[in-house]
Amino acid sequence: MKRFIDHQELARDSRFVRQENTLSTVMSELPDDVDKVVEVFEAFDPMIEKATRGTSAEALYDEYGPSFALVAVNDPLKPTDSAVKTRLMMRMHGIFVGELQALEGAGRSLWDFPDAPWEFKMNMARQCWDEARHVQIFEKLLDHVGAKPGMYPESTFLFECACSDDPAMRVAGVNRGLEGLACDVFRDMIRYAEETDDEKMKQAIDYVLADELTHVRFGSEWVREFTKGDPEHYERAQDFRRQVDKQFSFGGSRSDREDAAIPIATEVRKEAGFTEEELSELSTLSADGPSRVTIKAAAKILRERHKARVAAREGAPA
Amino acid sequence: MSEEQRMYPGIGRDERTTFAPYSAFDIPEDLRELHGQYDVAATAKRVRNFRYTHEWMTMMMGGWLATIPELPVKTGLGKLIWESAQAADELGKRLPELRAGRNPATASQASNQGYADLIQNIAGPESPDRTIEKLTGLCDVLMPHLIEVYEVTMRETDQICDAPTIELLDDATRKLRRHVAWGKDVLDRLCDTDGRRDRRVARTRDVTAALRACGGVTGDLPADAG
Repeated sequence: MKRFIDHQELARDSRFVRQENTLSTVMSELPDDVDKVVEVFEAFDPMIEKATRGTSAEALYDEYGPSFALVAVNDPLKPTDSAVKTRLMMRMHGIFVGELQALEGAGRSLWDFPDAPWEFKMNMARQCWDEARHVQIFEKLLDHVGAKPGMYPESTFLFECACSDDPAMRVAGVNRGLEGLACDVFRDMIRYAEETDDEKMKQAIDYVLADELTHVRFGSEWVREFTKGDPEHYERAQDFRRQVDKQFSFGGSRSDREDAAIPIATEVRKEAGFTEEELSELSTLSADGPSRVTIKAAAKILRERHKARVAAREGAPA
Repeated sequence: MSEEQRMYPGIGRDERTTFAPYSAFDIPEDLRELHGQYDVAATAKRVRNFRYTHEWMTMMMGGWLATIPELPVKTGLGKLIWESAQAADELGKRLPELRAGRNPATASQASNQGYADLIQNIAGPESPDRTIEKLTGLCDVLMPHLIEVYEVTMRETDQICDAPTIELLDDATRKLRRHVAWGKDVLDRLCDTDGRRDRRVARTRDVTAALRACGGVTGDLPADAG
């Protein structure tokens, strides 16, 4: 078995459809500019359409065009939102595939670094079991909210960004970047479960969040250990984590901004061992990107153009 | 009380306690005999061999997770990985107790190059269409072999002197039995056509032959065994 695999080699059964990762990368770099957002999403329209075909996102694409993904990711989860059920299913599915990739990332850390200290292997082995349980938990929670695995396209962006060939960067990316994002998302999901009196969801995700804190701590310890006595290596690992954090902010959707869909879980992150300095950095680097007003304006234009194109294709007046 | 009870012995011959004498053979009756098949050094070597296997099983299952498309197999392996790592960890902790050093780098040792090659052979199937080959090598051949050798070791080692090794092998064996049963369930489901059943049979035959050729986990398995 070879060391290091590409994200495209992640194995899935026939229920799953993959989504190109380029869009996720581009989203993390989008400016707060309606025209630019429209331009980028129009460029990616064929790719987005292709990934939705045969999934439950197909109807959303047909109705909203390429901007459906933009709105789905960037809007906060509110019980009063008329589209909350769809939004909840999409977010839950995103978490589910995120857990799958976290499981695969932890597993590959066991295989890719055979000479790593035994204690590192023990931590990664424990993480494999935890992430496997998380996949099982979120498969049940998908069912709980009326969704199922493979219902929406899967981006392997998380695995691609986080799985470096360098062990210090791998743990910085997977255990601090990806698991840190999980802390933010799960804190927000617990907030949603509290607002909807969903005790089952709240309790399950609270347990998962507790595991994630442990995984972040593993990351903090092993970044230090793998870069011990090599400040330049430590700084490169930190730079890598910053880059991953920037990518995982999805153009400000996960940030400290007032209009963020997923707020940074500052208290939870402190408990997990993130320093004040790291949290301040995260707040700054995730704050860029289009505001919700920009996104809504761009989404409106994209939807109108999409409808016009469909009408033109069908030969009817736009 | 007619006679004064003496709680502690004194220095005179009439100053013994009044407690009745029992030997180690009396209550409860201990029929275990001293002396096993392995001295301290031989047990330490076996423990290093066992640990090598659990360490590599942990690593190979971790590597496989990404290339297995069946979700219940991916998630099921998660627990096997953790339990295999725990077994390796416990075996590693036993080594300093056997005067075999505290360096984790030397805590694992393949019995011979043939066995090291066998482990890489079992880890080898990589592409997503090879779950049957992955699990057959591990759950149908290697794990049952470990159970068999652990049972022999537990039976043949000194039952009193080496009881800590027996304890940890007993725990590892119990978990391995569960892993083998899980693997059998999964493989029975996956092998639902003659072609797939043939693949399982062929893989079992190949890995078993390689296992016999190298003498197994301890390197001393007779070529015509099991």
